[in-house]
Amino acid sequence: MSQVFHEIEKKIIASLKDVQKQTPEMLEKSTSLSPDQVRRGIEWLKLKDLAIVNESTSSILTLGKNGKESLELGLPERRLLNLLKDGPKKLSELQKELGPIFGPAMGLCKKNNWIESSSEQLSSLSIPAELPGEKTIKQIRTEKLSKDKVDANDLASLLRRPDFIVEEVIKNKEISLTDLAKSIKLSESTGAIDVEAKVPEVFVARTHPLKDTIDEIREIFVTLGFSEINGNMTQPSFWNFDALFTPQDHPARELQDTFYLDKISAKKIGTSEQIRRVSDSHKKNWRYQWDINEARKMVLRTHTTCVTIKHLAENKPDEARVFSLGRVFRNEKVSYKHLVEFNQIEGVVVGKNATLRDLMGIQREFYKRIGITKIKFWPTFFPYTEPSLQTMVYNERLGKWVELFGMGIFRPEVTKPLGINKPVLAWGGGIERIAMLKYGLDDVREFYNNNLGWLRSATKCQ
Amino acid sequence: MPVIELSYSRLQKLIGKVSKKQISDSLPFLGLDIESEDKDLVRIEYSPNRPDYSTDFGIALGLQGLLGKKTGAVKLVVKKSNKYQISVKPQVSKIRPYVTGIVAKNGKIDDKTIKQLMVMQEDLHFGIGRKRKKSSIGIHDLDKITFPLVYTTTNQNHNFVPLNSDKELTITEILSNTDVGKDYGNILENSSHMPLILDANQKTVSFPPIINAAVTTVTPKTKNLFVEVTGINKADAEDMLSVVATILQTAGFSLESVQISGAKNSSPRLEQKKMIVSSSLVNQTLGLDLNTSKIISSLKKSRLDAISKGKNIVCTIPPYRFDIFGEMDLVEEVALGYGIQNLEPTLSPSQTIGQTSPISVVLKSLSLIMTGLGYHEALNSSLTSKRVLYEMTNRNTSKIISVLDSKSQEHTILRDSILPGLLENLSKNIHESYPQKLFETGTVFSLDNPISEKINFSCVSAHQDSNFTEIKSILQSALNTGFNMKIETKTATHPTFEAGRCANVVVSGKSIGIIGEINSKIIENYKIRVPVVAFEISLSESILKSL
Repeated sequence: MSQVFHEIEKKIIASLKDVQKQTPEMLEKSTSLSPDQVRRGIEWLKLKDLAIVNESTSSILTLGKNGKESLELGLPERRLLNLLKDGPKKLSELQKELGPIFGPAMGLCKKNNWIESSSEQLSSLSIPAELPGEKTIKQIRTEKLSKDKVDANDLASLLRRPDFIVEEVIKNKEISLTDLAKSIKLSESTGAIDVEAKVPEVFVARTHPLKDTIDEIREIFVTLGFSEINGNMTQPSFWNFDALFTPQDHPARELQDTFYLDKISAKKIGTSEQIRRVSDSHKKNWRYQWDINEARKMVLRTHTTCVTIKHLAENKPDEARVFSLGRVFRNEKVSYKHLVEFNQIEGVVVGKNATLRDLMGIQREFYKRIGITKIKFWPTFFPYTEPSLQTMVYNERLGKWVELFGMGIFRPEVTKPLGINKPVLAWGGGIERIAMLKYGLDDVREFYNNNLGWLRSATKCQ
Repeated sequence: MPVIELSYSRLQKLIGKVSKKQISDSLPFLGLDIESEDKDLVRIEYSPNRPDYSTDFGIALGLQGLLGKKTGAVKLVVKKSNKYQISVKPQVSKIRPYVTGIVAKNGKIDDKTIKQLMVMQEDLHFGIGRKRKKSSIGIHDLDKITFPLVYTTTNQNHNFVPLNSDKELTITEILSNTDVGKDYGNILENSSHMPLILDANQKTVSFPPIINAAVTTVTPKTKNLFVEVTGINKADAEDMLSVVATILQTAGFSLESVQISGAKNSSPRLEQKKMIVSSSLVNQTLGLDLNTSKIISSLKKSRLDAISKGKNIVCTIPPYRFDIFGEMDLVEEVALGYGIQNLEPTLSPSQTIGQTSPISVVLKSLSLIMTGLGYHEALNSSLTSKRVLYEMTNRNTSKIISVLDSKSQEHTILRDSILPGLLENLSKNIHESYPQKLFETGTVFSLDNPISEKINFSCVSAHQDSNFTEIKSILQSALNTGFNMKIETKTATHPTFEAGRCANVVVSGKSIGIIGEINSKIIENYKIRVPVVAFEISLSESILKSL
């Protein structure tokens, strides 16, 4: 227990050393602290086992409306008796004089045999020097008086009558020091503060946790020798689909999977040679009527591969390592595992000696650097790569293998029409999946909720 | 991707002498993902380029190869027959010109087999059939049909008892009253004449691509099958038939040919293809050094036939493998037969120096400056709603860019501004402690030949004492510290900001954005209980301009 005291605590302890039992009100006076400061000081001391708070209740009496009237004019029965002091008086006369109190006053005097009545008039029999209740009224007067200061019998007669006495029950606190507190030497703690006390929480402003993962992934690929390229999120279908050998009647191109922009088509989608050779590849291999208007339709890119393939078609490098990173879109129902918009990374290696095993090696090295060592490769299918693989990584928390990046070598049907003559290793995948592993999230929507509680506290777990 | 349910015990019977574990270990190396397992049942996902994997018969063929139980190409044995003939009338040419077919005899059809065939049929309809538009299959009880058949057209008053019905319906009734009619009727484009297959007794066999006749329904009592495929492209119809024929032969049926004539139709081919792959391409692509005999044995495990011819390998590809277009497809078949798990990853030395894009460099340094100034980074979607983007912020809606048919009400239009999203974020955080300070950088979209994409930077500060001076000094400090850029603020009006407390952000005489105190009615719209100040500027027209 800290032996460091706040100024308030010191003042209260000092005062209680002088006067051992005090109410909060007494402490206010003796310490010159505000009621709130005293209340807080007592609470702190109680928590530290330095103060004892005894709580009791007591009654405080004040005069009610009828009591105040009686203080001024006398009790109704006294006023009646006073009028009869000089001999009998007519009922009507008395009634006029006393008003509404006449009835109750007469009843009371009769009951006590102080008066007698004939047909028309009242006369007094005996007039006591002090009537029941008169003593109490005089004692209370206009003050508040503790109930134990008055004669209980005398009070009882008034309590039975309406609105003579108001009784208020109040709680009393009496504060005293514990033995431990009595031994405290206040002079020894001067200048110290409570270094063990709790402090208010402040929040560090931070970059977004998902952005941190994106940056980390970007850095890893840069250190592996890849350069970043940028491209548009809105793309003509030509680059998002046709250039990647996805036939125009392929289910993935339907409205329910892809976001098409309403009534927006691109006028220029590529060079005339690119368009001719891509359409020829479709007609020859997929056997259908290729339609340029279908290729002009603008879509929100469904993958960043469109950015990479366009870059390769424009630059036709013999050797290259490039990647692009950014938002992609799928027309899906939003759920704990699906977003309509998420981030993807897509990279390629171009080189005449590039092999599938190199592609696997790059993936393995990447996962190693983000802390994932348990991986395996399975065959899979993509329309634009052959052979195609997917990486499976082991999620320790879920206890199962989850699919991560897809990869493969671009098909000649994709590269040849665009004038790319060297093998192109390509890979890509969603970044949110990796970020979910890192932050231990089960709901991908959390990344875009911008819930300050989470943003202020998120910590990486892997 | 399609998912089907299989039983391990049935697969074991089809493959022959194999453990359950061997099967579950090998499935992924055929390219099949195991979705879930429950005792004997396993649900797997297959790629639509391999419709033969829509049944356990097809998967068993693949596993036999991979496990070395049976290798080499599956040969279709089709007995030539002239008992089964279809003549095609010229009038179908305009609507659904091609038909092909085959007869499958003496098979055992239990309920499970019927279920497998139905799944295969539906997956073929969806995938290569493109929802029955390109091609569609009918599978019938052969013994209920009298040959020769005729493929012709009829008018909409023609009637017959369709599958799953007990009364006669006209074509019109089928199209307007049945589920399949409603789903697929549009393929026929409301033509006055409808395709129809009739038997020798004028009995309706099928109304392609909509529905078969009830009389030819396949049941566990069926012994012999007749399969017809119709379509708009002859080659697609033949491809589809080759899958069905292969699966039926694997299921124990013996096949007999159907002769088709008339209107440019001819007998089905079901031919194997020959294709050459060079061993150097295989080794160069996979990064291996395999000799030709190893390549050949790998191809055989992938259920192709191959022989060597010098440095080349001549492959024989069964007709159902129409996913094989060229040499690279064969390289993949070698890789699968060799075993992906046997490919050791290599790390070839990097010959390039990596580089972050200049845009990423700028955005990252801006993020660091803003966190240094006490601002949290937020991330919002580019696709948002009219409510958030315009209604709540009182902005002009004249140039909305919408997407078609979004499944989510919250994601229907592309943002042209970042600020509304940040205000929405504040609105959702009113129970969190203040001050709340957020920033975001991201792409905004505008209509322009056809669309231009720019990068904006926006920032909000919400707390009891927030004011114009505070937010201006933040913007000024951020741009000056990070980019040595001086700004001016010139009086302006904007529907989102309070009149008299709003300015254009001007750099070198050009306005690049807006800054000020958010209009109190808008703050009320968002149910925020403290004043909010904000700015939004275009980075593309200032800091990123020269990149």
